[in-house]
Amino acid sequence: MRAVIIAAMMCFSGVSAVASEIHAPAQVTAGTAITIRTSGSGDATFYLVGPASASKTKVQAGSNIPIDSDQLEDAGRYVAALCASDGCTAANFFVKPAAANKLSFLVHPSRVPVGTPQGITAVAIVHDSFRNIVLQPSPVTFSIMAKNEKSVSAARTSENGVAWVRLTSAKKGGPTRLGAAIGHADEIRVVQQVAADACNLRIKASRAKRGFLVETEPVHDCGGNPVPDGTVVSFTESDAAGKTTVDVPIKRGVAKIEMPIDGSAKITVASGVVTGNELEVTGGQ
Amino acid sequence: MKALRYSSLLIIVAILLLSVVAYHLRAAADNEVPRVQLNTDNIAPRPIEDLTSKSVPRDYALAWQTLEQALEENQTGLLDGYFTGFAKQDFTQRINSQLKSGLHTRYTDRGHKLEALFYSPTGDVMELRDHAQLDMQILDGGKVIYDEPMNAEFTVLMTPGADRWLVRQIQATSGEKP
Repeated sequence: MRAVIIAAMMCFSGVSAVASEIHAPAQVTAGTAITIRTSGSGDATFYLVGPASASKTKVQAGSNIPIDSDQLEDAGRYVAALCASDGCTAANFFVKPAAANKLSFLVHPSRVPVGTPQGITAVAIVHDSFRNIVLQPSPVTFSIMAKNEKSVSAARTSENGVAWVRLTSAKKGGPTRLGAAIGHADEIRVVQQVAADACNLRIKASRAKRGFLVETEPVHDCGGNPVPDGTVVSFTESDAAGKTTVDVPIKRGVAKIEMPIDGSAKITVASGVVTGNELEVTGGQ
Repeated sequence: MKALRYSSLLIIVAILLLSVVAYHLRAAADNEVPRVQLNTDNIAPRPIEDLTSKSVPRDYALAWQTLEQALEENQTGLLDGYFTGFAKQDFTQRINSQLKSGLHTRYTDRGHKLEALFYSPTGDVMELRDHAQLDMQILDGGKVIYDEPMNAEFTVLMTPGADRWLVRQIQATSGEKP
């Protein structure tokens, strides 16, 4: 009986001496070095497979295996496996993102009319230093910094790694800086703010060689911002023969055209949905 | 005696044939497009368009199909179709290191339940959560060194491309054994 017990004990102790095991921490923070403990003895192969890496190294079963911080930068699921003469054993662990430290910042549109309520949309995706998505709620500050205007800020807390806001464009035209900040990190984008629709559109006419030269006064929006060159202004001439409309782009702030007019005619002007003044002219000999 | 010998031979041949058929059936099943169900009940702030609600699960399924093939065959070129940005960069790195180590990863895909969380107001990015059921095998040459079924959860960022939605980032957030 004693012999059987001793034999059984030897057998069990023998098994525990050679069977390889691997122990990894359940969770690790991205960019942190760890040590994976193994048991067993003899030559073995250690494998580490993560979201963006796979490695294979020769080790001694029973030794502690150091894993450098740069091997654990990608958040996600890792498999650590040890294969020795008695087979393979494995352990899984998760690498969670480090603290929020970077932003991916998307701003739309790239050109927006001044003073458009909620005309700009800004989306920030919160990352750690290794550009893993940080799912923990984090405070993000959005700001709009127009030239010669006070900056306006809005704070939002990220949800599932995303924070977003709608902003009203500034009152002055020109490039406007939009920022998103988290901790010490910030991202800036530039949005070109252009004049809104023309306001107080006015035309004047003067005699020209073959009719009348009709031109606008410098075209501005209601905030005094010059309407950009290329914006189309429509001149319409109405006389006994009917209506003629000519579309002319603004050039150097004004739109002008020479209209051949015989007899009396009315000239009106419009740009988009905005109409201007009306002129009555009489042409011919 | 002769009859017994012939019948044994016939049984062996039949087993071999069945093995070949089973292998091919499995290979065919592996190349199938995974099942993907999309739930958009909690999507915000932009409501999802009808066409987008069909193209996102279709393209996500095709992304997984090509990813599984790429990781098994160690072919980075297969990632070009449905991956971009960090996702493409990470998987390319993984495949290159698998090649270097002589490893392969084989997935048996048992389906994905996608939940849309965020759709940007301008429609240029969508965030989703994927509850996936997968069997994962890691092979060193022909030797299986790891084999385990898992319930995985992924956070996914997708962005629209010219004619499809592309996976821009995919990050496993937790996983448990079923």
